[in-house]
Amino acid sequence: MVNKMSHTKEDFLPINVKALTNNEQIRPSITFWADVWRRFKKNKLALIGLVGVIIVSLFGIFGPYVTPYSYSYQQTDYSNVPPTFPVYRVDENHYVFLTGQYRLLLISNEGEIVSRLLLTATDPINKIYTYRYNDESVIIDFSYRVVPSRMNLGIDYTVTYNNSTVSQPERTIHNKTFLLGSDNLGRDLLTRIMYGARISLSVALIATLVNLVIGVAYGSISAMSGGSTDNIMMRIVDIIDSIPLLIYVILLMVIINKPGSGYWTIILTLGTLYWVGMARLVRGQILGMKEQEFVLAARVLGVSNNRIIVRHMIPNTIGPIIVSLTMMIPTAVFTESFLSFIGLGVSAPQASWGTLANDAISNLQTYPYQLFFPSIAIAITMFAFNFLGDGLRTALDPRLRKG
Amino acid sequence: MNQYYVKRIVSAILTILLIATVTFFMMKAIPGGPFSRERALPAEIIAALNNKYKLNDPLFKQYVDYMLGLFTFDLGPSFRRLGYTVNELIAIGFPVSAKIGFLAIMTIVLIGIPLGVISALRQSKLTDYVVMVLATLGVTIPSFVLATLYIYFFAGKWKLVPAFGLESGLAYIGPVLALSGYSISFVARLTRSSMLEVLRQDYVRTAKASGLSEFQVVFKYALKNALIPVITYMGPMIAAILTGSFVVERIFALPGMGYMYVEGVNNRDYTVIMGTTVFYAIFYVVMVLLVDIGYTLADPRIRLGKKYGE
Repeated sequence: MVNKMSHTKEDFLPINVKALTNNEQIRPSITFWADVWRRFKKNKLALIGLVGVIIVSLFGIFGPYVTPYSYSYQQTDYSNVPPTFPVYRVDENHYVFLTGQYRLLLISNEGEIVSRLLLTATDPINKIYTYRYNDESVIIDFSYRVVPSRMNLGIDYTVTYNNSTVSQPERTIHNKTFLLGSDNLGRDLLTRIMYGARISLSVALIATLVNLVIGVAYGSISAMSGGSTDNIMMRIVDIIDSIPLLIYVILLMVIINKPGSGYWTIILTLGTLYWVGMARLVRGQILGMKEQEFVLAARVLGVSNNRIIVRHMIPNTIGPIIVSLTMMIPTAVFTESFLSFIGLGVSAPQASWGTLANDAISNLQTYPYQLFFPSIAIAITMFAFNFLGDGLRTALDPRLRKG
Repeated sequence: MNQYYVKRIVSAILTILLIATVTFFMMKAIPGGPFSRERALPAEIIAALNNKYKLNDPLFKQYVDYMLGLFTFDLGPSFRRLGYTVNELIAIGFPVSAKIGFLAIMTIVLIGIPLGVISALRQSKLTDYVVMVLATLGVTIPSFVLATLYIYFFAGKWKLVPAFGLESGLAYIGPVLALSGYSISFVARLTRSSMLEVLRQDYVRTAKASGLSEFQVVFKYALKNALIPVITYMGPMIAAILTGSFVVERIFALPGMGYMYVEGVNNRDYTVIMGTTVFYAIFYVVMVLLVDIGYTLADPRIRLGKKYGE
């Protein structure tokens, strides 16, 4: 009894793939980076950080093209003008504002500085200064600051013009000429902060990239060589790690700094000293990967060591590298402003945020805004990069993946 | 086990020798001698000075002299502050810095760790949120900004504390806070994250299940393990406090080591730079060594585990 199997032609037709897959639960596959972005997006703080980084970068890149001033353009007549100031009315369209250095500035109704009024006479005994405006005298009486009987009247000084005397400022007006005020040489602070962003961020970025290249090369060579080469290379890293690097950054700055070259000196010193962490990170990652099958497969196919590092290892460590990069940039911004602050930064008239803060220290009590704005810029940048780095770390770390 | 300590101590000594050597040759590499000023000195005076400070000797002999000086703790005379030796300058400056540094470390431990613990216990609540925002602020705002803002408001506007000097107890608040601000925040963040991790572990649940009070569980069982990463940070923290003192001492006008160092850098006072650099580096290496040894005593796993390769 042989049951002869019979096949018809229909049995050999291709099956309907569509009908078959329609029954399966499938989702479109997500690439690694799409997955990272998906998780990154969920993190509000990280998004804020990303936006902050973008804004600060745009501020530094395009800001200087937008402002009417250059970072070194000085109008010494208008030095130390704050971003907002009290004004006294002189005529329909104009106010006057007295600067901390007893300069009388003519201010338009909109808050623009029109001109500086000429000081024609000073009476140091009675504390009366006379300025000239439209061929008339503007008399400022400071005696309220010194005469005991007048000191408690709540009046700072009086402004007399055209026989009318004003003792209280009419209002506080926003400075439209210098939006964030001007510095002690009459340079626009906003413009200088924009240029400062350019210098601080570019120093940080270039120094970090130099660190990246050195660190990745050092770490991967050390890990791939193994044995005593690895041992010696890591002992060197140990030694560098046990040195307070900032002292050597300062020392190196002293040694190689020539007048006018502060910018490149900072990049060089920061770029060549801080790669140790990156080298350790890359080495650790590569050691973990070295014995895995895909590396063995590449080796069997006859791929050279260098090529394995460049094509297989580094792309696989890119996540931790990026995280460490975003953490290194704020550190570099920080170190740069620190160095500038103790007087080892870029040379005048160039400005970084650190030099701006340093310049502002000496007249902090009188013109605090000169310190506040650069400090805010530094803090915002550090904030943004830190949040971005934290977010990237969470998004890129597969162990923290929830599903 | 002892092998580990011997290895650490030997490598610390080697590091110190290397630091001294590198510093020496770096200083020798500076273009222009220590006596080149903006106004050139007559050749005879330079020759006499060079003779006096033995700068005409062969480089190797200078190096040997310098290293021998180091072994006997003799760092030579200051080139700019006449009549002072570097030793004397350090003797003046170090106690000031050490006092503030010690207070700063105490502040960090006493404020940073409790903040981190509280934050971890109240995870995702308002307290946690407030502490973490403050801590992030503390990490991101540079110490010089913090210090100047402090002076502006507390000393300038409200006149609550003196703006500089160390004459009264109140005057210590500013420098100590400015010096410890970054590390307080960092320690708080570190404590929080490691505490969160520890609180999730089985032994903590067991402790809770066996009816121990929350206080006992947290402070007797969880905190001990949670502090391990904090202790690791102690080494770098010392560095942060050392170098932070450059800025803080400048702003508050305190005659400490950092002030001397920055002063030396700005005046190009080579022996002072060299001496204080070597002093700083040695101090740092020794402190890190001590932290490391204390740390291995606290956690035996570290001695036994391999140092590299995860």
